[in-house]
Amino acid sequence: MRSLSWAYLVAAFGFIYLPVAALVLFSFQSGGLPVPPFEGPSLRWYADVIGDSDLMGALLNSLVVALFSGAVSVALGFCAAYGLARHHLPGSTLMRAVLIAPMTVSYLIVGLGLLIVLQRAGAGLSLWTVGIGHVVINLPLCFAIIYATMGAQQQNAERAARDLGANEAQVVLLVTVPMLAPAILAAFFLSVTFSWDEFIIAFLLSRFDVTLPVEIWSLLRSGLSPKLNAIGSLVFLISVAGVVALELLVFRKRQ
Amino acid sequence: MNLTREQVRGWGFVAPALVWTLAFFVVPFVVMGAMSLASLDGRTLVWTPSFANYIELSEKAYLVRSIFVSLEITLTVTIVSVLLAYPLAWIIAFRIPPKWQRLALLLAVLPFWTSYVVRSYSWLLVLSREGIVNDVLMGLGLTGEPVTLASTRFATVTGFVHFFVMLLTLTIYANLVQLSPNYRRAAMDLGASTFQTFWHVILPLTLPGIMTGAFLTFVLCIGDYMTPHILGGNNELTVPQVIMLQLGRRADFPLASALAIILMGIVTLAYLGFARWLKLDRI
Amino acid sequence: MTAPVQLRGLNHFFGNFQALKDINLEIAAGEYITLLGPSGCGKTTLLSIMGGFIEPSEGAVLIGGKDTTRVPPARRPTTTVFQDYALFPHMTLRDNVAFGLRMAGANRRDRHRRADEMLALVGLEGGGAKRPHELSGGQRQRVALARALAVDPDVLLLDEPLGALDLKLRRAMQDELKSIQRRIGTTFVHVTHDQEEAMAIADRIVVMNAGRIEDAGPPARIYQKPASLFTAGFMGEMNRIPARRGDSGLETPFGSVNLASPEASSLILCLRPEAIRTTQAGFSIGPARVRDAAFFGTHVRAHFSPDAEPDFVLVAHLPPGRVPDQGEVMTLWADPDSISVFPQEN
Repeated sequence: MRSLSWAYLVAAFGFIYLPVAALVLFSFQSGGLPVPPFEGPSLRWYADVIGDSDLMGALLNSLVVALFSGAVSVALGFCAAYGLARHHLPGSTLMRAVLIAPMTVSYLIVGLGLLIVLQRAGAGLSLWTVGIGHVVINLPLCFAIIYATMGAQQQNAERAARDLGANEAQVVLLVTVPMLAPAILAAFFLSVTFSWDEFIIAFLLSRFDVTLPVEIWSLLRSGLSPKLNAIGSLVFLISVAGVVALELLVFRKRQ
Repeated sequence: MNLTREQVRGWGFVAPALVWTLAFFVVPFVVMGAMSLASLDGRTLVWTPSFANYIELSEKAYLVRSIFVSLEITLTVTIVSVLLAYPLAWIIAFRIPPKWQRLALLLAVLPFWTSYVVRSYSWLLVLSREGIVNDVLMGLGLTGEPVTLASTRFATVTGFVHFFVMLLTLTIYANLVQLSPNYRRAAMDLGASTFQTFWHVILPLTLPGIMTGAFLTFVLCIGDYMTPHILGGNNELTVPQVIMLQLGRRADFPLASALAIILMGIVTLAYLGFARWLKLDRI
Repeated sequence: MTAPVQLRGLNHFFGNFQALKDINLEIAAGEYITLLGPSGCGKTTLLSIMGGFIEPSEGAVLIGGKDTTRVPPARRPTTTVFQDYALFPHMTLRDNVAFGLRMAGANRRDRHRRADEMLALVGLEGGGAKRPHELSGGQRQRVALARALAVDPDVLLLDEPLGALDLKLRRAMQDELKSIQRRIGTTFVHVTHDQEEAMAIADRIVVMNAGRIEDAGPPARIYQKPASLFTAGFMGEMNRIPARRGDSGLETPFGSVNLASPEASSLILCLRPEAIRTTQAGFSIGPARVRDAAFFGTHVRAHFSPDAEPDFVLVAHLPPGRVPDQGEVMTLWADPDSISVFPQEN
């Protein structure tokens, strides 16, 4: 039983890491194709990536769109969660359902709908429209995470603060936000990641300025290349650094 | 009254998010629904409502076929992913010492963070004619000719399963560890074997969690364009691929919208199916 | 500081459910009041109305003679110690205790000095830099108390403040709460469902049931001469002996006794277990057989079947000398002064 468990674990990790290993290994390929045999280590493809101004521009675009749409999503999501969790509003069930709804719809459909409306309205496609689309898909997530965390514990602390003379702004800024900081941070981080990595909406709603996944996609049309391995490995490294940073940050927060 | 003032303030907090969702999600969705009833005359849109697109969908073989391809792939992926992820989550939760669990879980889902576009591409490195698998097979002398693995349904399913095994391991693990260890102890204490404990106690208790994860897998899988496009080749097309084809080639928004509505319908039906299952389980 | 509280004609509804029914109560400045009752009796609703968290459907709350019915919590001279303490987990103890003063605009040095004073008052001197999660339940309770007292309220409201503590700690904190209240003289209103806690701590107990005040008075009076059958039962173990009015006073299965009684066809005599004795007194119960008996340290608790009514079971607390044998026959009496009489409820 024990050895079976270990065998399964090894097999599963092998399956999970096989493509990643191939990606990273052949990013150091000195030859022109990212397939066996491995012809010896080289950093030429990384230099190629760094020197590619289109790719670097796209990376910057992605970062800007991700941070902007993450911030807007968290701000809107927090306000909506606070409004619905702390006030008795008629129709609150319906409002919650509307806010959550985009989560159950494929990104492709969200993007298609927005594209149709933007074209009808005669609005041009740009990074702004990509950002709008990303807020649509991240807002439900932020709302749900923060709303779920606004439990009785926070409510009692807010009550206590009010009892001790705090006004509404002081209650929100000094009690609610700090107490919900882990959830707010997690929601922001998830939104940024999703936006950073999102393809289909960014593809449909952008024109000249594109985000990184769209740029990678256009490179991919010319077939296998170690350059794609290099950019893929770099993006992986950035994401992992982000995950580790959050893990450490949240871990330190807990102590 | 104080009450109305409180309500006005509450509305004020909810309004921005609500307006955003209405303007950029609900309205586009309604417009898309209307679009699916319009039609294309040459390159101009004709807004006379008709079900022509839906009739076309039911008549053209490759359109009907795409719906079945999508369903077959999605169901296969969902079932295989759950079957592979559950043992992995179980081993991490119950076989690995607690102080290593977090690390093991982090490692098991780390490739989750590779870029979405690159993730499918990296399977090409493994499965293509010159790729790693064929290199190993031919090196071992098991086959003289490269086996065709890429541009097949097998490749699409493999790419999907890789992603969703990670997602499901995460959700199932979360479900397993939040169970009180006393359930397992009680079952063992009463003479149940490991398998009996799993089958009679742990599985029923984690079923709602599994179903939630499976539903998520279903929804994300059936709406995905990238994975079948990169790994599946052109022999068979999924619904998202056909939608993108309509947008690209002829800018046929009405037909694309109709397909999107069909996709929505399938997801809604799936939701009803899963919801009923969950409710039955709770009784 | 301290102030009296007057509750006038309070009624409160949650939808169709009436949580409070015609509550009238006068609380003197510096008094320690407990609101006692089973869960759902309305005591916490009443406290929330005093604290300003709920506006009553009808009636008025006067604090220090001023109508504060519609004054929000922040601007009334009350503070609340919450059941789960509601300490701010992201702030140090000093910042928690100083929060109210910060809201009032006090400068940092003054409010920290005051916070340290308050922490010392509750026995946590030197702990100002800690955070709530480092504390035990009892210590959190003390911080919540210090935080509520730091703004010098006229009235302190405590919502089951000791409910989360274990029995031993609860008894210790009761003594401490009372001594702190004596020192600072603030009016305390303390909600509890534990009648021993209420008796240990209160100047006056207000017993509530189903949204009404059943009884209000000093602990000894409430216990010995309860105003209602509910209060009698809620304050401790009680023998209920059926009775009716007769020519020679009240007729019971054990004979008659001369007592004033309300006008009703059937009555209940309430007799505390410790009021039953084996020495002669005004009300004779007669010979009774011991069913079982157990030693409790301060007394011996025994069940009896009286010969006059063998199916009836009486519980008695006897002096802790000797534990009687099962089947032993003893002659029992009770002091008529310790008996309360109520009409039978249907």
